[in-house]
Amino acid sequence: MNFLSEYIYYIGAFSLIFIGLFIVLAKKNLIKVIIGLSIVDTGINLFLITLGYIRGGTAPVFSKPGLKAENMVDPVPQALVLTAIVIGVAVLALALTLAIKLYKHYGTLNLRKIKEQKW
Amino acid sequence: MVNPILLIVIPLGLAFVVPLFRFISKKIEKFIPFFALLANLIISLTLFPHVLEKPIHVSIGGFLPPLGINLVAGPLGILFAMLIALVGFLVSIYAFAYIKEKDQEKYHILYLLLLTGATGVVLTGDIFNLFVFFEILCISSYSLVAYFGDKPGIESAVKYLIQGAVGSSLVLIGIGLLYGQFGTLNMADIASNIHSVHSISVFIPLVLLITGFGVEAAIFPLNAWLPDAHSSAPSSISAILSGIAIEVGLYAIVRVVFTLFGASSILTFLLFLGVITLLIGELCAFNQENIKRMLAYSSIGQIGLIVFALSIGSLSGINGGLFQLVSHTLSKALLFLAAGYMIFRSGSMNISSFEGMGKKMPYTSFAFTIGAFSIVGLPPFIGFPGKFMILKAALFEQDILFTILVFLILLATIIEGAYFFRVVQTIYFKGEKSTPGQEREIAPLSVLIPVFIFVGLIVVIGIYPKLITEILESSASELLNRADYIKNILP
Repeated sequence: MNFLSEYIYYIGAFSLIFIGLFIVLAKKNLIKVIIGLSIVDTGINLFLITLGYIRGGTAPVFSKPGLKAENMVDPVPQALVLTAIVIGVAVLALALTLAIKLYKHYGTLNLRKIKEQKW
Repeated sequence: MVNPILLIVIPLGLAFVVPLFRFISKKIEKFIPFFALLANLIISLTLFPHVLEKPIHVSIGGFLPPLGINLVAGPLGILFAMLIALVGFLVSIYAFAYIKEKDQEKYHILYLLLLTGATGVVLTGDIFNLFVFFEILCISSYSLVAYFGDKPGIESAVKYLIQGAVGSSLVLIGIGLLYGQFGTLNMADIASNIHSVHSISVFIPLVLLITGFGVEAAIFPLNAWLPDAHSSAPSSISAILSGIAIEVGLYAIVRVVFTLFGASSILTFLLFLGVITLLIGELCAFNQENIKRMLAYSSIGQIGLIVFALSIGSLSGINGGLFQLVSHTLSKALLFLAAGYMIFRSGSMNISSFEGMGKKMPYTSFAFTIGAFSIVGLPPFIGFPGKFMILKAALFEQDILFTILVFLILLATIIEGAYFFRVVQTIYFKGEKSTPGQEREIAPLSVLIPVFIFVGLIVVIGIYPKLITEILESSASELLNRADYIKNILP
């Protein structure tokens, strides 16, 4: 139980990553695959945030007197997540644009049926 | 001395002002990549002698490492930056005549961003910054593959995007794990502490990073996207993807394995992976009817050879691998540009439609032939010293394993020769001797100039390889002496 409460965020983050990877591998519909990629992204962002998280910690700004450095969360992972979110949005937008174009060309989003480029 | 940050800033800044130039004149926008990359080429050439003496390192915003983001312009970084600027510059000349569809400004923006990303990856000294530049490179190449918006382009862009996005996610997990253990993102700082923790907890990030970057570098079994993407992209972009994008992926792997982790024990695994990639690539290329697919599979094979050479792990092996990398960049870019123009004229990617091209388009066919001979490794072209150095380095190990692998590599080279000579034969000796009504046509200057500069470089470096061996040797020793790399950044 102690283990669970200590590592619950990591377990949650990696569960999301694996769920997302499973969706990417197993689903046939392109939109679902894109959703899977997005879930992977979310999992990674949670994982990065967890790296710097301290229970009951506060923002790393010396706003109150008596606030010590050990009560502050690590700001670097938050900066990383901000960047990762932006990159994720760019990939997501591009993927959805391509999905629209793909549907216009083939009339389907089923990836198993789209195989002109094989061999 | 010029600041190496300009190598990133100039193309990045100019990429976003391309639409503004549209208000002045619509004809001006295609010259922007030309000038940006010309500037980059000049800057990297002026930096080159300084870098050979001592690597330049720049802390951005005045934060000294390990705190801020830093750029490290070592011999290896400048070698790649020069290659990127050179190939990008020549391909931007090619694009003057080649890109004539609507929305030209989008092509030029994405093209500049792709090269910005590539230059950033090779110059940065911060692992997360490397990831960001890598994503800039990847996202712009996904969209450039789909630039024409036709059926094959969109389909392969989707494939490329899905695989690339999973790969980038793996890289990000690896970076997160490293940050969790070391509390720093500076590559030199991580490298200096890497042996202080238990080996399994650095093994997982290493595997994640190699797999993630391996998708972009198209190492077997992560290469499924490459033949589709390279064959359905516009030819100028295929040249950039084959000549630069996969090499940059390879650079990331090499940087991670040698400098960041100093992991010499994984090299044996990469050795086998390289030879398998080589054999798979060449065997698949042999069977292709589509010329661009054939060239794409041949790129996979060449990447396998480079991975093999770099994983020998000795100074001469890395030297040969880097030489082969330069040779592949120049020759494959030339092949895609020449083949691209022939496809543009004949309207078909099928090899059989190239019949009689030797009569119709003598200059382009001649350039294609030079490129093909160089890839196969015939003297006096640049491919010969590269392959020779690799084989010499492998046999120098005096191990029965290396002898077997060298045998496999030579076998793959024979296959490579077989399919390239088949194309050359089709170009010159097949088809009717004289077809009436078909005039000889000379390609426009914007095609001939870059193609013949590539031919010139291939022949000159092939005859006199000492021209580049100095920078290759210092790059190879930069990779092997990670202590020097660390000491240079963290005094």
